[in-house]
Amino acid sequence: MDQQQAPRFFKHGPSPFARVIVFSTLSLALMASDSKFNYLTPVREALMVGLQPFQAVANSPFVLYTSIGNYFISKQSLRDELETLKKQSIFQGVQLQALQSLKNENDQLRTLMNASKNTIQPARLAEIMYTGRDPFTHKVIVNMGAKNDVLAGQAVVDGAGVVGQVTRVFPYSSEVTLLTDKALSIPIQVERNALRAISFGHGRDNTVTLPYLPANVDIQKGDKLVTSGIDGIYPAGLAVAKVESVKTNASSPFAQIVATPLAGIQNHRQVLILSSDTTNLVAKDIQQVLSVDAKNQSDKKDKSSRKNDAKL
Amino acid sequence: MPNFNRRRVYFTLLAALLLQLLPFSGVWLQIKPDFLLLALLFWLLRAPSICNIGIAWTAGVLMDLISGDLFGQNALAYALTAFLAVMYQRRLILFTVLQQSVYVFLLLFVNQFILLLLKSFSGSEYFGWTYFVPSFTGIMLWYAVLHSRLSVNIMARQQ
Repeated sequence: MDQQQAPRFFKHGPSPFARVIVFSTLSLALMASDSKFNYLTPVREALMVGLQPFQAVANSPFVLYTSIGNYFISKQSLRDELETLKKQSIFQGVQLQALQSLKNENDQLRTLMNASKNTIQPARLAEIMYTGRDPFTHKVIVNMGAKNDVLAGQAVVDGAGVVGQVTRVFPYSSEVTLLTDKALSIPIQVERNALRAISFGHGRDNTVTLPYLPANVDIQKGDKLVTSGIDGIYPAGLAVAKVESVKTNASSPFAQIVATPLAGIQNHRQVLILSSDTTNLVAKDIQQVLSVDAKNQSDKKDKSSRKNDAKL
Repeated sequence: MPNFNRRRVYFTLLAALLLQLLPFSGVWLQIKPDFLLLALLFWLLRAPSICNIGIAWTAGVLMDLISGDLFGQNALAYALTAFLAVMYQRRLILFTVLQQSVYVFLLLFVNQFILLLLKSFSGSEYFGWTYFVPSFTGIMLWYAVLHSRLSVNIMARQQ
């Protein structure tokens, strides 16, 4: 090696080979500890906060560009937009009235059937700061974090349907995995025949797939897939995707079903983060168990005191 | 070997990091060269006493943080690429710009290939030849910077 041929009286430090061995082992150790144990989550959070000012500087030209664009927007286009929004609000107002009466009816029917009522989940608006840099994953970073009570696992939607799920939460930002990512799966239902399935992200081409369904499954091209709501994360009935193609292969017992997401995954800036009921459910469960325990104990006490009374 | 100013080296690396942080999306994200690795290679070949494998590894950890990957993936790729660069550093500085560019292109390619290997171990899927486009845009940027003698200005001003 060249470095070793240099005369010894120059100070060199460790040889490149020694260095690369040390740092490779270090990175292998980091990879192992990050993937198998969650030791590094606080480190990542702290470093992300440290990186925040740099991110703000890097974002600033783009923010400036959009704000300049907004400033020079013409009066006519604003007026047009107002017009369309007004029309839209009238249409939606009518639909909303119908929805209200339907909801009341549904609640009454559900109480008649002793089923639990559907609750509306509170949502908060978040803005996408930037898309993830990793070409292998489909992720975006939004500007709401642990300081805004965002929790990992919450569902993210937009006006047209499900966008994805919060997977990592940092103090001032959080990472949303899009539904087209390979790692994300959503329990869905075919709207037409209420068939339940699970949609997996395809990982490329911005599509989702429905694997493990038999070749004779009743799914057609154009079917709308909605969330089934059985996971407790996504509320039932949110639009997820539209079936693009259904292929069967003689060599495989499963159908190959590809669907395109309905939400504008690639082209919007604002998304809604739904606060899931999971934490509440767990809390309720714990409370129920605790109250049952307390009741049992008080019953025991009563019994023992009665026994004591009898003995006396 | 000229005595390079440490501050200048760190400043260029920081500027490259900021370029990495730019909120690209869509096609731009696909063709975006690895600015940080290019800056690292530039200094690895010119000032190996300041910009060494350790600096490359630290930059890799920062890249892991930025891209939200497992810690250590980019770090390992950067460290190995930096090692390959440092190994032939004495010969490389005697090369012409074109010869150097060919070697740097190989380094960029190797870096992406190591990353691809690590990613496929953690369950990602190779999505076609477009994955390697940043290597080509990277070497175009490298050649443009060296050919326009911008790099001479960068180095001359610091002495």
